[in-house]
Amino acid sequence: MKFLPFVLKHLRRNWVRTLSTVAAMAICIFLFCTLQTVLVSINDLLASTSANRLISRNAVSLVFNLPLSYGARIAAIPGVKRVATTAWFGGSLPAKKEGKADAGSETTTDWSQFFPNMAVEAEPYFQMYPEFVIPPDQYRAFNEDLKGAVIGRKLATKYGWKVGDHFFLESFIPPYRKKDGPFEFQVDAIFDTDPVKHPNTDTNLMLFHYKYLYEATGRRIAAGTYAIEINDASQAGALSKAIDAQFENSDAQTHTETEQAFTASFIAMAGNLAFLLNSIGLAVSFTILLVTANTMSMAVRERRTEIAVLKTLGFSSLQVMGLIVAEAIALGAFGGALGLGGSQGLMWFLLHTPGIKDMLAGIGLSELHLKPVIAAAGFAVALGLGFAAGFVPAMNAYRSRITDMLRTV
Amino acid sequence: MSSGQANAVRATAAPETAEPMVDVRKVRKVYRRDAEELTVLDGIDLQVPAGEFVALMGPSGSGKTTLLNLIAGIDRPTSGQVIVAGTDVARLSESELAKWRSRSVGFIFQFYNLIPVLRAVENVELPLLLTNLSKRERRERALTALKVVGLADRSGHYPRQLSGGQEQRVAIARAIVGDPSVLVADEPTGDLDAKSAEDILALMETLNREFHKTIVMVTHDPRAASRAHVQHHLEKGVLKAD
Repeated sequence: MKFLPFVLKHLRRNWVRTLSTVAAMAICIFLFCTLQTVLVSINDLLASTSANRLISRNAVSLVFNLPLSYGARIAAIPGVKRVATTAWFGGSLPAKKEGKADAGSETTTDWSQFFPNMAVEAEPYFQMYPEFVIPPDQYRAFNEDLKGAVIGRKLATKYGWKVGDHFFLESFIPPYRKKDGPFEFQVDAIFDTDPVKHPNTDTNLMLFHYKYLYEATGRRIAAGTYAIEINDASQAGALSKAIDAQFENSDAQTHTETEQAFTASFIAMAGNLAFLLNSIGLAVSFTILLVTANTMSMAVRERRTEIAVLKTLGFSSLQVMGLIVAEAIALGAFGGALGLGGSQGLMWFLLHTPGIKDMLAGIGLSELHLKPVIAAAGFAVALGLGFAAGFVPAMNAYRSRITDMLRTV
Repeated sequence: MSSGQANAVRATAAPETAEPMVDVRKVRKVYRRDAEELTVLDGIDLQVPAGEFVALMGPSGSGKTTLLNLIAGIDRPTSGQVIVAGTDVARLSESELAKWRSRSVGFIFQFYNLIPVLRAVENVELPLLLTNLSKRERRERALTALKVVGLADRSGHYPRQLSGGQEQRVAIARAIVGDPSVLVADEPTGDLDAKSAEDILALMETLNREFHKTIVMVTHDPRAASRAHVQHHLEKGVLKAD
C-alpha cells in the first residue's frame, strides 16, 4: 500500500493521456455492462417461457391475423393439450383518463403510458400459464365480467390500481380501435407469481377477455396468435411441423415455434443477438486493450531512465514490474468504475424516462437493471484489460539492464 | 551542521583495519556485439579505504563510468572481483544485488534523475519505501537529509521548480538518506554552472569529512577532481599510476 501514492502520482504525469485512456476504458466497460445487461434481461425473459408451450402465428408476419377456425383444428391435432386464442392489444392509457385532455374533448392517447396488454381466451390460457397465481374468487369474478382485467402485481403497484378500479386503454393497432372511444376495463383480479419457481416471470402485464375485443370491434377481427400447450415438450418440433402442415395450402399459412423462439422473434431479436452483442463487446475490448497497451508502452518508454534510477536505488526488477502493472491496473480500475457508473446511469435514465421505460416494459424488459454479477464482471474485465495492457511493458522493464536504460535519452 | 543532523545521517567512522571499503581485483569488462569483443576494463586493481574521497578521471571511453557502475553494483564484471563494504558484488543474485544496493550504495547521477511527478521530499523518501520504516519515520528522515544538503525549505517543491544545483542537492539527499557505506557519483557537476558545481563539491567534501562517507567520483573536471583525496586516471581500460 505504501507504493500506491507513488503509482497514482505517475498517472498525473500526463493528464490528457491518462484521461483519454480512462475514458476509452470507461466506454469499453460501459458497453460491456450495458450489452450484457440487455442480454441477461432477454435471457431472463426467454427463461420465463415454457418448453410445453408453442405459439402459432401468421407465417407472413405478426401483423397479419389467423382465422378463428384454426383454433379448433389445432386442438384436434394429436399431442396438443389445449389452445387459446390471443391478440396483442397494444393499448395505452388515454390522456382523458389521466386528466390530461380538456373535458369533453376527444381522447388523446398517452403513448408514454404503455405497458404489455393482451386479449386472451381466458380459460385455456390461464390453465396453460400456471405461473400466474390468481386468488380463486378474483378469477371467478373476472370470468363473469366481460370487461374484466387481470393485472400483474407490478402493474397494480405502478398505477396504484386495486380490485374494482376502472381504467381505459386505447390500442395503436387500427382494427382494435373503437369509434366510440377507448376500451373500458375493470380490475377484477391481480396476479402474483412464485418468485422461487418462476423468478423471471414479469408481472408488469395486463390480460383481458378476447371475447370483449372481438365483440367490441364488431366481430371483424381474427386471432393474433394461438397459444398452444402440448403434452410432451420433446415433441415440440414435430408438432410445430404438424400444425404448419395442416395450413400449408391455405391463404393464411401458420408459423409455429416454441414460446421461447417466438418471444425472441417478437422482441425483434434474432437468434444470433447474443453472438452479435458479444462480438461488439469483444471488438471494443480488444481495441481498448491495444489503446491502453500503447499508452502504457509509451509511458514506460518515456520513463526508462526513471526505471533505471528505481533499480539503482534498490528496487528489484519484480518491484519495478509490479509498479508498472499496478499503474495499468489503476487505469483499468478508474475506467471500470466510470464505465459502471455510466452504465448504471443509462439504466436509470431508460427506466425513468416516460416513453422509453414503457416501450421497454412493452417488450418485457422492465427489469433492465445492472446486476451485481455483471458489474463485478465488468470491473474484472477492466482490471484484466489493465493488467494485460501493462504486462508487456512491465516485462520489458523487468528485463532491461540498468546500464542500458541509463544510456537511453 | 547541527548535531541532530549529524545523528540523523549517521557518521560512519573510518575503521582502523586495513580492509578497504572498495576492493576491485583484476577486473575485466568485455562487451560483446555479435562476434566483436570490446574490452572496456582490462585487469583493474583498485582499493579505496573507508572514508576516502576518490576521483576517477580519464578521457571519454576510458571505462571510468563502467568501473563506477561495477562498484555501485549496477553492472557485473566479466571476470575479477568487486568487493564493496565486505560483499563480493559479483556473487550476488539480481534480487540480492538490489537489496544490497539499497543498503550499501548511494548513487549520484550527472543529470540528477529526480522523478518529476514527486516533490523534493518524496524523491528523497523513495529509497526508504524499501525499508520497514513507518510513513512518519520515512518523512522525518527525508526532511533531515534535505536539511543536510541545505534544502529543507524546498521540500515541497517539484524538480521543475528547482535550479540545477538544487536538483543535484536533492539527488544527493536521496543518495545519503539510506545511510549507505559508499557514495558513487558520476560526473555530479557535469551539468552545473561553476557556482553550483562549487556548492555541490563543497557538500560532498562535507559528507566525506563530517559523515565519513567513502566517495568514488567520476569527473572530467580537474578542479572537481582536485577536491578528492586521491585521483586515479583511466586510459583505455587500464588504471594509470599517479
